[in-house]
Amino acid sequence: MSEGITRREAMGHAARGLAAIGLGVTAFHLIRKADGQIVWQLDHSRCVNSRLGAVGVNTCNLCTSECVVAQSAVRAVNDFSKCGRCYICPAYYNVTSAVDESGLPSEKLCPRDAITRTMIGDADPEDPANNFYEYVIDETKCDGCGKCVMGCKEPAGLGSIRLAVRHDLCVDCNRCAIAMACPDDAFTQASVAEAFERLETKGGT
Amino acid sequence: MKYRLIRTISGRGQEPDQFTETLRGIAVDSDGRVFAVGDSAVRVFQADGRLLHTWSTSSPGYCIAIASNGHVYVGLAGQIEIYEADGTPITAWRDEQHLGLVTAIGFANTSVLAADANARCIRRLGPNGKLLNTIGDDNRRSGFLIPNGVIDFAVDRTGTIHAANPGCHRVERFAIDGTRLGHFGRFDGQDPSGFSGCCNPTNVAVDDRGRIFVTEKAGPRAKVYDSDGALLSVVADSQFELACKNMDLAVDSKGQVYVADTVKLQILVFAPQAEPAAAGNTAAPSEGDESR
Repeated sequence: MSEGITRREAMGHAARGLAAIGLGVTAFHLIRKADGQIVWQLDHSRCVNSRLGAVGVNTCNLCTSECVVAQSAVRAVNDFSKCGRCYICPAYYNVTSAVDESGLPSEKLCPRDAITRTMIGDADPEDPANNFYEYVIDETKCDGCGKCVMGCKEPAGLGSIRLAVRHDLCVDCNRCAIAMACPDDAFTQASVAEAFERLETKGGT
Repeated sequence: MKYRLIRTISGRGQEPDQFTETLRGIAVDSDGRVFAVGDSAVRVFQADGRLLHTWSTSSPGYCIAIASNGHVYVGLAGQIEIYEADGTPITAWRDEQHLGLVTAIGFANTSVLAADANARCIRRLGPNGKLLNTIGDDNRRSGFLIPNGVIDFAVDRTGTIHAANPGCHRVERFAIDGTRLGHFGRFDGQDPSGFSGCCNPTNVAVDDRGRIFVTEKAGPRAKVYDSDGALLSVVADSQFELACKNMDLAVDSKGQVYVADTVKLQILVFAPQAEPAAAGNTAAPSEGDESR
């Protein structure tokens, strides 16, 4: 301890250095952990509710019935960039129900009434069918039953609605009950990075 | 009136008379030859289904029509290509602004009518391809509502345009100057006289008697209406793959209906079946009757 540096100062420098190194290592591990963390995700190309070509089959609701999280950690999500904003949306309405006095299907499709239908812009008073509509899913009501996903799938719709794992709800079970039950192996594990990549390339996880 | 399936033409595969990925448009000429466009090729079949010849288009074709002089018009993205009936190229009309995605072509007098699905309207062109006027864009949504991505129309003998507006569940009529002449159709998911689902009908054809033929998707079916919009018959439904959509159709001079199955890439030909005398509507389907 020479050249004017006291023992106390030297220990302070050392402590700050160690703290900096510790923070760096911690940050490194945090980033590494986040990057390498395994999460559950849903492959839309496998899920029978959204898989193209799977037409005339029953809706699968195993994401609702099997998930250990109350009301499930899976939600339906509408990709507005693909939505046709139809006057009669086959995900909103039960399009095989009887027509009511206004010429619309008399029944909604969602058993939890989780989708809202709002006209975009002003109504055309001379032609009510000639309007666009916005369909928004209330995730506090949705339980991921998949009915709207099946209803929206091509060719009936445009396939804008899909199921997605909500990672703020998912508790990351080692043995996911949905994955074990899914007959199409649509529930798979992936790293956070892969999940983000899938989000960017396939529009959802 | 009932219809029965009498023939299938082409299909999915690698053979010369087959399509590999798409079958988007069909037309029948006065001799009963069937012109089909799919992938990036036109295939011409004899009435019995045998391949006559085939030729390539510059890019994937979306529709096909036969003019009264026998010239073959093919709609593509950004242009219309015109050929002799044997496939010899005549010319191409390129106009990305007004022919963004040509999904239907028809003829009225000296005009050529082309549906531009990108702009959700119908263009009326002169005999040299010059734009004369636009049809169907004069409403508050600036055009047809086509979540299915295509506009299809047909022109009857009087020059009236019958265009599918699937988002509104109806067939709309126009004069070639764009004047609206009326429409028929309504949503109904139970009554076959209505149009089901989010967006039907998708495709339209008319015959010499002014009857209007349409196809629908989800579930796929073909139907025929009289000129006032009253349902005459369901031509076919169970014969199509459930995932079919935008099934183009054509009618020949015998009243036979040609429908494109867009999954099997096959043309199904349905012939009207004479009703047994005094049978009425309660008659049981005859043996071998494959339609409703």
